[in-house]
Amino acid sequence: MAHDCVIVGAGPAGMAAALTLADHGVRPLVLDRAARPGGQIYRAASASPLPDRSVLGADYAAGAELITAYTASGADHRAEADVWHVGADGKILFSTDGGTCQAEAREILLCPGALERPMPIPGWTLPGVMTAGAAQVMLKSDAVVAEGAVFAGSGPLLYLIVAQYLRLGVKVAALVDTTPRDNYLRAAPLLAGALRVPSMLTKGLSLLHEIRQAGIPVFRWASDLQVLGQDRARGLRFVTPKGAQEIAADTVFLHHGVTPNPNMTRALGVQHDWNPDQLCWHVRRDPFGQSTLAHVSVAGDGGAIVGAEGAQCEGRLAALNMLCRLGRIDRATRDHLARADLTRLKRLAGVRRFIDRLYRPQAALRVPQCPDTLVCRCEERSLGDLRAGFDAGARDPNALKSLTRCGMGPCQGRQCGPIVSQLLADWRDEPVSEVGYYRLRSPQRLLSLQELSRFNRVHPAPEEAQ
Amino acid sequence: MFRSLRTDAPARVRVLVNGHPVEVPAGQSVWSALALSGQITTRKAALSAQDRSAYCAMGVCFECLVDIDGLPNQQACLRRVTEGMQITMQTITEDTKAEL
Ligand SMILES: Cc1cc2nc3c(=O)[nH]c(=O)nc-3n(C[C@H](O)[C@H](O)[C@H](O)COP(=O)(O)OP(=O)(O)OC[C@H]3O[C@@H](n4cnc5c(N)ncnc54)[C@H](O)[C@@H]3O)c2cc1C
Ligand code: FES
Repeated sequence: MAHDCVIVGAGPAGMAAALTLADHGVRPLVLDRAARPGGQIYRAASASPLPDRSVLGADYAAGAELITAYTASGADHRAEADVWHVGADGKILFSTDGGTCQAEAREILLCPGALERPMPIPGWTLPGVMTAGAAQVMLKSDAVVAEGAVFAGSGPLLYLIVAQYLRLGVKVAALVDTTPRDNYLRAAPLLAGALRVPSMLTKGLSLLHEIRQAGIPVFRWASDLQVLGQDRARGLRFVTPKGAQEIAADTVFLHHGVTPNPNMTRALGVQHDWNPDQLCWHVRRDPFGQSTLAHVSVAGDGGAIVGAEGAQCEGRLAALNMLCRLGRIDRATRDHLARADLTRLKRLAGVRRFIDRLYRPQAALRVPQCPDTLVCRCEERSLGDLRAGFDAGARDPNALKSLTRCGMGPCQGRQCGPIVSQLLADWRDEPVSEVGYYRLRSPQRLLSLQELSRFNRVHPAPEEAQ
Repeated sequence: MFRSLRTDAPARVRVLVNGHPVEVPAGQSVWSALALSGQITTRKAALSAQDRSAYCAMGVCFECLVDIDGLPNQQACLRRVTEGMQITMQTITEDTKAEL
């Protein structure tokens, strides 16, 4: 028996969609691999292990309200449900509680969110090197922090976690800012667009102010980053206009932006387009989030980076369109109800363009510069290995993968994929859009035979099965 | 150095990390048990056998693969601790991989 709608991902996008569906009498099945709903930004917002969650900011507290409304909406939420196959035939497979489940959907909404852009600097595979997002996750889910860490990179999420650490009294060794000086000039013409949502801009600026006030060492215009240490991280070396610097630290958090998590939409075979402003692949969609497969929609950061508020707008729009496709509302109603979110998204896009340009990552940090720096963390393939593969004739990501095994490990290219496409584009002297990306297949995670042998189907509750 | 900011007195569970008993708040991630116990190596790299540790903490990098109660390839950042759980560093290399 098929569900009217299955949503993958209960972040802002998925939760907002579920609320709109519920308003019109559709009770979606929602699958999320986390222990609680909330997604990245509102992770554990409803049950924070922190003594005082207000230090995480007003946005975080607001998330608790969204989660409460979502929980009351009647959506069939399945926590710790890790989806590893979404088929064009509407069948969805996921792992939960040591077993495997199958659900079937008329309409599928994918809201898998973003992942952090890799920063393949020398030493980035050493124990003790993590992403700034990892610091967020540990703080929000488990109230675990790293004392005396150095934070390096660029962008609002990096400044946010540093500010959160400082508010909590956690010692920060340094903030090493890699935003290139040139970005400020290039972003300036886009400032007018960003000022259409002034609150977003002031939020960002106040974070930087707060960090400076705290008096921790802040290094700007940093480049040539390298993690120090043999068997684990011991610090970070980098260069600023004042010369080479070294900071000792046993934890190094890296971050220079987020990109849509591509594996599910890639494996499903919907169309993607390279976006040169965000330097990542976007899922090709209509204004309601409908992909090139009519019954599959994508909302939130999993389609293109829109941020938490944009993700909610997109979630609601996708829900309205699915309601229309399911015959619950007519087109005129859909279009009428969509107006406010479409307008808001336009405004938010102005801010996004400014942020994207201001925090565009350094080209030299997006691909390795040293031949022995690893690109593929799983299969341990270095820049030199890949170059040898290219010289041997492997000119596209899939050919390079079969020749070198780069991208064949358990992460299925989530880390090396963007690096490989960029390297090939540089070497071929062609745009990334020409080079393309790995061809991906299900399952999107490691599975054991034991898990597969414990098989169940998930059906809609009888009263709503039609 | 990882530490916990919790000031409440959560129920604790006792797990074994590489054979050493460690107490952690119930419901926390397996990775947090490793981090708080200072034993941060999760696995050996497949070829070089170099130490690796959790990188993303959100289930996308697969660096945190550990052995839990005899089952290999478990993502420490996604699994949660339960009483008596045995967590050990994973040492699967190229040669042993084929059997899985
Ligand atoms: C690590 C990280 C930390 C971030 N922290 C912040 C922050 O503090 N503040 C901020 O403004 N923005 C933050 N962001 C940006 C964030 O992506 C957006 O602000 C917002 O959360 C996007 O909402 P979303 O609903 O599109 O996706 P998300 O909030 O990312 O939600 C996606 C959900 O899908 C689930 N999921 C993904 N894949 C699967 C699968 N295969 N099976 C089952 N479930 C799956 C995830 O568990 C998650 O709950 C962060 C991003 C990342 C990557
Ligand atoms: S730390 Fe990345 S998957 Fe667990």
